[in-house]
Amino acid sequence: MRQVVRNTLSAVALSLFAIAPAAAQEAYPVDTVTIYTHSKPGSGSDLFLRAISAPLAKYLGANVIVDYWAGGSGAKAMANLAVAPADGSAFYATTPTHITTSLLSKPDKTYKDIDYIVNFFYDPEIFYAKADSPFKTIKDAVDFAVANPGKAKWGGASAGSLERQILEKIKKAKGAEVAIIPHEDGAGLLISVLNGTVDIGVGELAELSGQIEAGELKPLGVYMPERLPNLPDVPTALELGVDSDVIIKFRGLAGPKGIPAETVALIEAAAQKVLADPDFKKEYEKLNLIPGYMGQEEYRGYVGKFVESQAKFYEDFGVTAE
Amino acid sequence: MDAVNIALGVLFTTPAIFAAFAGVAYGIVGGAMPGISPSVAMALLVPFTLTMDPTTAIILLASVYVGAEYGGSIPAILINTPGTNAAAATTIDGYALHQQGRGGEALGISLMAGVVGGLVGVIALVVLTEPLAKLALAFTPPAYFALGILSLSVIASLTEGSLVKGLISGVIGLMIATIGSDPISGVTRFTFGIPEVYGGINFILIMMGVFAVSELLIQVSLVDRERAGRDTRIKLPSLKSWKRLWLPVSVGSGMGIFEGITPGGGGAVASFLSYNEAKRWSRHPEEFGKGSIEGIAAPEAANNTVAGTALIPTLSFGIPGSNSTAVLLGALLVHGMQPGPMLFTQNPDVMYGLYGGLFVANIAQLAIGMLIMTPCIWLVNRPKRYRLAIIYALVFSGVYSIDNSAFDLIIVLMAGVLGYVMKLLKFPMLPLVLGLMLGYMVEANFRRSLMVSSGDPIIFFQDPISLGLLVLSGLMIFGSAIWPALKKLYRQRTAAS
Repeated sequence: MRQVVRNTLSAVALSLFAIAPAAAQEAYPVDTVTIYTHSKPGSGSDLFLRAISAPLAKYLGANVIVDYWAGGSGAKAMANLAVAPADGSAFYATTPTHITTSLLSKPDKTYKDIDYIVNFFYDPEIFYAKADSPFKTIKDAVDFAVANPGKAKWGGASAGSLERQILEKIKKAKGAEVAIIPHEDGAGLLISVLNGTVDIGVGELAELSGQIEAGELKPLGVYMPERLPNLPDVPTALELGVDSDVIIKFRGLAGPKGIPAETVALIEAAAQKVLADPDFKKEYEKLNLIPGYMGQEEYRGYVGKFVESQAKFYEDFGVTAE
Repeated sequence: MDAVNIALGVLFTTPAIFAAFAGVAYGIVGGAMPGISPSVAMALLVPFTLTMDPTTAIILLASVYVGAEYGGSIPAILINTPGTNAAAATTIDGYALHQQGRGGEALGISLMAGVVGGLVGVIALVVLTEPLAKLALAFTPPAYFALGILSLSVIASLTEGSLVKGLISGVIGLMIATIGSDPISGVTRFTFGIPEVYGGINFILIMMGVFAVSELLIQVSLVDRERAGRDTRIKLPSLKSWKRLWLPVSVGSGMGIFEGITPGGGGAVASFLSYNEAKRWSRHPEEFGKGSIEGIAAPEAANNTVAGTALIPTLSFGIPGSNSTAVLLGALLVHGMQPGPMLFTQNPDVMYGLYGGLFVANIAQLAIGMLIMTPCIWLVNRPKRYRLAIIYALVFSGVYSIDNSAFDLIIVLMAGVLGYVMKLLKFPMLPLVLGLMLGYMVEANFRRSLMVSSGDPIIFFQDPISLGLLVLSGLMIFGSAIWPALKKLYRQRTAAS
């Protein structure tokens, strides 16, 4: 997968720190928009932002550049964003990481001190097992766990991860007696699934598609409200009755509080055009990202719900740090 | 063929070649300065690699390792002071040759032996890493636990100094590793409510402290040493001398392959062992110690081979074979890469790019080694107070730039004082670093295993890999505990008869 990301974006990398060509300048309140990420240069988030900056510049009518507030898993980014000018010139590329950091590391400035503007994408999570696993869908795996208490083994990523949260949620709802075994990260979990230490795992499709194409893994279910275009035959957890609602990873923009409503409206309009752009669409479909546009009102509510469910999970399981 | 394509692609489309050249040049200078070991030279450079793409960064650091192993022999030959631990064996014959006015020839042999040894090391790296990484795929949690225990016990018993001191040092490392969040439940431990350490302590900080800062503290208390003459010119060995050199170079390379793969050995052990072996196999053993060209070739081939082969366990299992590869492993983690079987599927460009970069670095070493001689000797001759001040500034600005956190400076200083005290009391440092790096692996896999078996410890003896490795670790610890007693007994017997 990363290979694909790299290939697609090697062209982008050529113009390191390049300023996307400015179209009509008069439309947007500022000439240059900076999107900050807490990820390191060259990371998945960084490459994603570089890919989106060109179409965003085109439809916003402003230069869009990517810069870094790296370190502290988003703590520094939230602190800087909270005091950035509220004129639509500075945004923070959101992923669930900064919420985890807010809840667990308790920095001075948290998600409460910034405002959510638009959402662009969802990162779909899937359930998976080794290719020769007896389970055909995630429902088989859950049924097996319910019927054979103490025998099933499920693997999650790190202790405080969304992946573990999903499994604990299902385990509780179904009353299954199953060991949920945390790993250091998604790659560690993948090895455990491949060598049979755990029966099933949960992870981002983007990280797994390579192994699925190679025939080493098979997808058991999609943790999204609807089926995925790249995996049309794989049912969702909702269809199978494994879970009643889903928590999804998101990628969007946050800004300082107090950005004028007219400016927000301009960004909302540009965001919808970016997602509909045919060239960019080809790119993000290859990256297994699911467009999930949300305007400001909807996005605020969505993040609020996300925070609530995470906070409850941490409390229920005594997680105090990642 | 794919791998070759990727390697060539990386070399010709990224700054990888420049990184290899620059790394070797910097490494030679760093290695030549007494007090700057290859690991210190690499640790100083890590912060500067943060903004590079991972492939360039890793090639740069690995090339520094290559250059530093040769650089260490320059002061060893010219002023009888090894620039690196691994060059200590080179002082014996190198300085003797220099006193006979053959210093340039000695440097040339060291350089050529290093290039040949380095290339052998890279070939071993290319041939062995991927199969070993595939083998790592079969490692279940109990097997990883046992592997961690084995590495810790090998190190505790093989490193210099007493077994007890090695174990204490390892335990200190394990204790530092427990700071931060619990690997299984995510509950924070030993953080004293300080949010900066909730995520654990960054390995690189501890290594900067125990390697660089502690060495600086020790250097301050030493008197300035002899200066190197500036008129030395490198003379490469003639075809005639190669007839005598191929044997010690082969001995050194073979020893380097073996010691690089075994954790805990490292360049210093490999060069002393190969010096002894080369003497045993030589047709002129009487020359050893009085200026034998073979006595330079063997250890210098060995330590440059280790620069390649020590990467094998680092990349395939995440277990560093030496201090320097521990720094490299820390840098991999900083760049968001996890060593192990997934490295080849997820970052093939980094892996194959590294192979290509190391080939370039080893060949570049020949040209750079000759060109850099004069500026290198000039730098080594600067007064110590200036050198140390600049290195201090590099350490602290570098540490700060990793996460822009002033708290990290406190951690580095504390680690530096810890390292200083440990060095004064002659505690080995490698067990500490390995305890730190393996602590998480040992603990997380121990608990994961028990979760898999619902709390039954028999799982560690059911898994064949785990059982084998645990038995081996038992033998290792038991053996090194009774070895001195056995040796004494044997001596008494022979003395009696």
